[in-house]
Amino acid sequence: MKLLDRNGLKPDPWVRSEEIVPTEALLVPVAALDAALAARHDGQRIGAALPNTYRPADLAPVQDRLELVAIDFPKFSDGRGFSIAKGLREQGYRGTLRASGALIPDQFAFALHVGFDEIELSDARAERQPVAQWLHALTLIHDSYQDGADGAVSILKRRRLAAGAGA
Amino acid sequence: MGKRPQEALIMSANALLGGEVVYYAAGGRWSPHLADAFVARTEAEAESLEAARAAAEAQGAVVEPELAPVGTDAGGRLVPSHYREKIRALGPTVRTDLGPQAAGENAHVSL
Amino acid sequence: MYRYDEFDAAVVRDRVAQFREQVQRRLDGSLTEEEFTPLRLMNGLYLQLHAYMLRIAVPYGTLVSRQLRQLAMIADKYDRGYGHFTTRQNLQLNWPKLAEVPDLLDDLADVEMHCIQTSGNCIRNVTADHFAGVAADEVEDPRPTAELIRQWSTLHPEFSFLPRKFKIAVTGAARDRAAVAVHDIGLRLVRNDDGEIGYKVLVGGGLGRTPMIGKIIRDFLPKDELLAYLEAIMRVYNLEGRRDNKYKARIKILVHEIGTDAFIARVEAEYAKLDGASVNADPAELARIAAYFAPPEYESLPAVSEGFEAAKARDPDFARFAATNLFPHKVPGYTAITVSVKPIGAPPGDATSDQMRALADLAELYSADELRITHVQNVVLPHVKLDDVHALWSALVEAGLETPNAGLITDIIACPGMDYCKLATARSIPIAQAIATRFADAERQALIGELGIKISGCINACGHHHVGAIGILGLDKAGVENYQITLGGDPGEQASLGQRLGPGIDAEAVPEAIERIVDTYLDVRAGAAETFIETVRRVGLDPFKPALQPREAQLEAA
Repeated sequence: MKLLDRNGLKPDPWVRSEEIVPTEALLVPVAALDAALAARHDGQRIGAALPNTYRPADLAPVQDRLELVAIDFPKFSDGRGFSIAKGLREQGYRGTLRASGALIPDQFAFALHVGFDEIELSDARAERQPVAQWLHALTLIHDSYQDGADGAVSILKRRRLAAGAGA
Repeated sequence: MGKRPQEALIMSANALLGGEVVYYAAGGRWSPHLADAFVARTEAEAESLEAARAAAEAQGAVVEPELAPVGTDAGGRLVPSHYREKIRALGPTVRTDLGPQAAGENAHVSL
Repeated sequence: MYRYDEFDAAVVRDRVAQFREQVQRRLDGSLTEEEFTPLRLMNGLYLQLHAYMLRIAVPYGTLVSRQLRQLAMIADKYDRGYGHFTTRQNLQLNWPKLAEVPDLLDDLADVEMHCIQTSGNCIRNVTADHFAGVAADEVEDPRPTAELIRQWSTLHPEFSFLPRKFKIAVTGAARDRAAVAVHDIGLRLVRNDDGEIGYKVLVGGGLGRTPMIGKIIRDFLPKDELLAYLEAIMRVYNLEGRRDNKYKARIKILVHEIGTDAFIARVEAEYAKLDGASVNADPAELARIAAYFAPPEYESLPAVSEGFEAAKARDPDFARFAATNLFPHKVPGYTAITVSVKPIGAPPGDATSDQMRALADLAELYSADELRITHVQNVVLPHVKLDDVHALWSALVEAGLETPNAGLITDIIACPGMDYCKLATARSIPIAQAIATRFADAERQALIGELGIKISGCINACGHHHVGAIGILGLDKAGVENYQITLGGDPGEQASLGQRLGPGIDAEAVPEAIERIVDTYLDVRAGAAETFIETVRRVGLDPFKPALQPREAQLEAA
């Protein structure tokens, strides 16, 4: 697997496991989350791997204790993960958000806009759609009509700022 | 489409770049001419045609390959059995100046 | 008419560059066909029976002459010299080639046009009343709202991979000419008791396999809250719309399955959570957009034009056109003209590039440079002086666009059907042609009066047959085209879905069946002022059922 953010490939310290293991960074399915948090050793980072049917509100009680939330995209055409990410950011989750599964480079900018920080790619996918394509895809659409969690300011707002209507 | 064991089948698709209708011909090439279409007449041939369809879909040189039942007329020429595939062989019935029919192609096919 | 600023223009250009690269990546294999398909659909590019089809967005149906001339040029340069106006106010080209589409999109961008999100599982072209800005019964012009929604929904990062397509329509008048009740979201501009303008919000209308009338989920939404409220609706749909079955994936199914009250509760819960300030448009932005839709400089004219009246008196053909194709304008001395794109016997909604150029010239000369595409597949010239109507009509005659049948029985909506469309189960255009030819006589059409026939070539209902006063649905019955007739549909503020009249009939039998249905109506109507739909509502379907039986059976039964 490869891990990618807006700057390119990066090493992945997270270990995915269904069982509680004492790795420095442990990413568990949501069913094992309570146990992982209870067993957490000092300095251990805990992350939750969510299916794309998960309701963000259900994570609220523990979200401040998580350093990573990974949301699965079983098919690139299934856009539920984008709303789950948005919901998590809106309810104040400030850790890292990872999209994993079957995304394509053309969705990378959307993922960053809704609050994802990184994308996890299979090796096979990275072979067919190299990192350079992913990074290049980010450069194609310069402005958006919506605010982005990545700091993008919507065109609608930028017009107001340009018109000096911010006052 | 339901197929009975001995119904003859051809495969049609659309060309990726131009979008025009093409037919799977003997040797695995694609031809714009219905007359070139490979006809699967036995169950074994139908199975291999279906395999070719799946391969074509995965390979992506043509778009939306489909199998379609076909018959022959008194002159031995191929005639698609269903009106949909007949229309594909001719062109829009409301614009006879467009599609293969405009060049006189498939004049033996009528709805 | 909205004009792009540098932001709008940049988005459209960037999008073309992006699609150009996507085509390359499809050709070099880094994108599979499965991955490429939604990307090309989100740029309006379908695959049809004979060729690709490109759907060009005409936002809320409004065009200026420069744009229509460019569409004519594009139809000549990249296609076969004609285009098709659709039931969502767009224009379709039937013969583009994949490798040429990026250049075509660049030519569109030159005139502030695009194909963004005209297909795909995303928010589609926002449609609106084609008499926006000129109808006397209008509370507010719906087009600034439609333009705001267009911008908000364009390349929306959260809502580009929905369970299914999503269609929004806006009306600003008491009479609903935008069919909002059969859209995924329908918006009606209304005034509350304090005189403020806001939106009545309907959700879950739609046609297709399971037609439904939209449910009111908010009686009054303040204008400033529109985008945030739409986001809440979209988020509920994106998360909870069905993804297991393509035929149950629209929002109407979700609303139906969980119930309207439960749906409202979920939307309101989402709405309470989300950051409205970050999503809603500043009222100053809506005002900026609205300024583009300010009316043209109308002259101060008397309500009656002597020239117009005199022309009617001396020319019966012109008088007929004036009786059918003119819409009362809110400004005295003006009218909005419906140019019928339904010449008798021709494919409904198809216009040649020459006809497009002729219309562009007429718009520039007589209609403050503006045209509208209607969801009935016609064209409106919205700002015409009564003094100019005769000259305009003479030009229409030369262009073959003078058919005096707006709203009449030969003003038929037909989808492209199996002559073009891969999804079709039967042809629709020849049925429309046969019916129109049968009823060509102008006097007879005038006698029959307002009657909307809508024909779909498959269950997807792109011809809107469910909301036709007479609806016709073409199916495949054992390898033969077979047509089901429904009666009593209506797309307006009294929206209703048509009821099946009886078993399906052969293509050849359709014109005769329509004749008998019409004869029954003429027999049974309570005077000439009672329209066909009103009669059907009053007497029900039973009197019309014999119309489907072959004449021999009828004679035997007599």
